Amino acid sequence: MSNVCAIVGGGLAGFVGYAALRKGGLEPAEIAVFGTDPDPAAAWRVRAAAIRQRRMRSESDGHCAPTSFPGLAVRAALRRRSLVPLAESVCDRFHPTVEEFLDHLEHLRTKTSWDESFRLGRIKHVRAVEGGFELDEHGSFPHVLLAPGHPGLAFPAELAGDPRAVHAYEPHEYADEVEVVGAGMAAATEWLNAIAAGSSVVSVRRREPERRPLNLPRELFTRRGLAAYHDLPPDERVLFLRRHSAPSYPPGRWWDEPLERARRDGRFRVAPAVNGAGQIICATGFKRGFRSDALLRKLVAEHGLDTVDGWIVLTPDSTVPALTDAERTLALAGAPAQWSYPAADTLMGAKYASRRLLRKVHAWRTR
Amino acid sequence: MAYTLRVRLESRLAVVLTPLLGACVLALALKAWWPVELAGIMLAVGLAFDLTLYHKLLPYQPGWVALPLGLLELAAVMGLARLLNVGATLAVALAFYGGAWLLAQVLGHAVFPLTRLSYGDDGGELGRAGAGVAATALVVLAAAGAVAWATQPPVVRLAAGVHEGPLTLDYSQKLVGEPGAVVRGGIVVTADDVTVRDVTVIGGEHGIQVELAERVLLERVTIRGATLDGINVRRGQVTIRDCSISMLGNEYGQGIDISFTADLAPSVVEDCELIGGQEGIFLDSVHAMARENLVRRTTLRGITVTEMSMAEVEENTVEDVVGIGIYCSDYSMCDIRENSIRGVLPDRASSDSMREGYGIVSHYWAHVEVEDNNISRSPYEMGEFAEAYITHD
Repeated sequence: MSNVCAIVGGGLAGFVGYAALRKGGLEPAEIAVFGTDPDPAAAWRVRAAAIRQRRMRSESDGHCAPTSFPGLAVRAALRRRSLVPLAESVCDRFHPTVEEFLDHLEHLRTKTSWDESFRLGRIKHVRAVEGGFELDEHGSFPHVLLAPGHPGLAFPAELAGDPRAVHAYEPHEYADEVEVVGAGMAAATEWLNAIAAGSSVVSVRRREPERRPLNLPRELFTRRGLAAYHDLPPDERVLFLRRHSAPSYPPGRWWDEPLERARRDGRFRVAPAVNGAGQIICATGFKRGFRSDALLRKLVAEHGLDTVDGWIVLTPDSTVPALTDAERTLALAGAPAQWSYPAADTLMGAKYASRRLLRKVHAWRTR
Repeated sequence: MAYTLRVRLESRLAVVLTPLLGACVLALALKAWWPVELAGIMLAVGLAFDLTLYHKLLPYQPGWVALPLGLLELAAVMGLARLLNVGATLAVALAFYGGAWLLAQVLGHAVFPLTRLSYGDDGGELGRAGAGVAATALVVLAAAGAVAWATQPPVVRLAAGVHEGPLTLDYSQKLVGEPGAVVRGGIVVTADDVTVRDVTVIGGEHGIQVELAERVLLERVTIRGATLDGINVRRGQVTIRDCSISMLGNEYGQGIDISFTADLAPSVVEDCELIGGQEGIFLDSVHAMARENLVRRTTLRGITVTEMSMAEVEENTVEDVVGIGIYCSDYSMCDIRENSIRGVLPDRASSDSMREGYGIVSHYWAHVEVEDNNISRSPYEMGEFAEAYITHD
């Protein structure tokens, strides 16, 4: 059998979806993955390198494998022959290194035969047809997971075209005087990077960042928090998503001590606006909303999908309700799936969407 | 993990299934219901805490919290087990609880996440399988409870007033006296699984005699005027609790005499008051524990452990006795801890040097371990005689 399921997007969210489908019994020949690079970490790797990320913000279960156990802490414990990673994990203090994360991803890539399913190419058009979805000229698939990734880097409008400005996720070095715009995880990482490089740093931010271990409160990663979220009416859900998109980075001495030292030395301060530094690093994340993504924009327009503000309306299981029934499934994973899962742009979010897609595929097969 | 309430209840039932089945097997093997009772208490405590505390107080539960919560539940389980007189020894109960807790951790952190892809984002829910396992656990518990209830020995009420004895209890039963129930002439127990509770026995050769019977519980019995022993146990296994035995005026009898039961499960004598007679508690060739008893005014010794017995003698009070307070003899091994012994009088009528008023005596190859005993108003604290010895912890 072939053409059971297509994954549009060959990045981390697509890879997580693929691993889940494989775990659920689908053969590589039954899955087609469309992407622009056979390395599922290609885009992520560049961004992580740009901000010199060494450790993951996620914890032991921040990996791409379909089951949460064994997590990266168990694997680290076995590799290091030490119980320390396990002890850290039960205290929510284990954060795998980027290297550990990527090593595991490579292992999983081989184990799941990802490359057998991967097809080089960017899908530009998804069209609902009888019993499935047509993807450009690649034929029809009854089940499709859209994991297009982030639609692009977000720059503050006032810095567009400013030669001093560089996005944090683009390769860069550090000038003697650096202004870092933003206050989230990438910004905090850049503060430390620039300080370590000997720069003076101005943190440009309009509001104080929240300090929390993950990018959302933990209960929002499971049904406990999601049940209340899914019960919210659309306008409140929008407010909820906006409120929880406030910048944050983890608490802890690892972050605070270097900043405090630099502050004492006069090398770190906070300002409300940029003010003439030689380099401006925009740690301002990604563009948001389906309108920023050509594929999604066209999908919404052609099929008249419900949207609220910048979000496509999804069911709690991350599928597009108007285009999903017993015969076919259109599911979203990654940032565009926030209507279903607020932390959709995390690995947990990608797993959430793909596990529910797998249920649909199983139900379709046994109907 | 941020557990939902359904998960807490469902997984509680799911992880208790294996210990519950183990408890049923253990109950069959031991012919005792305490393993099932213990498993039932564990489940009840867990469910109660889930409903009233954990769900409200713990929107998110880090892994390490399982340890303090486990200790909290352990304290509650042990407290309830003691309150409800569940007949498990502390070590066995702890081992059972510890094993069940460890199994729950392995299931919750490894097995369930491996078997159910969405375990994490479902907040730990196990779907239809979880509901099925939970229902199975409830069915097993209900079935075990029903069997336990159906096989309970009949309760025989002894009305207030005097009943002429001796009464012979030759089948499994619970003989429960109403206030004012008195048996004159003694009670003889010859069947296993007999309970005698809230009964006063007056007269008889032995107040209560247990012969060749196991799992006998004598609780809140009062004995007066027996001509030989207050309670006499031969080749039997008993638990004697909260008894009151007066042997005043009885020159040769013992308050409690348990003999020749070394091959049986340990007998227990606790929280009893014994006064008069030659010896308060006499343990001969037994495995036994005597704890928190009050022994007074005996004429030979307070508590005796002899003839290759193994016994723990703990937290008893022995006072105003003649010769020896606590005596361990004849190759016996005794743990004698935290007893209060006062007023041991020298036996002026005896030429035996052991009887010059010792709090504790180890005699004839016996081995005594002592710890934190308080001996006062006695000529001697401790003595070793005839190749016996005492070690201090």
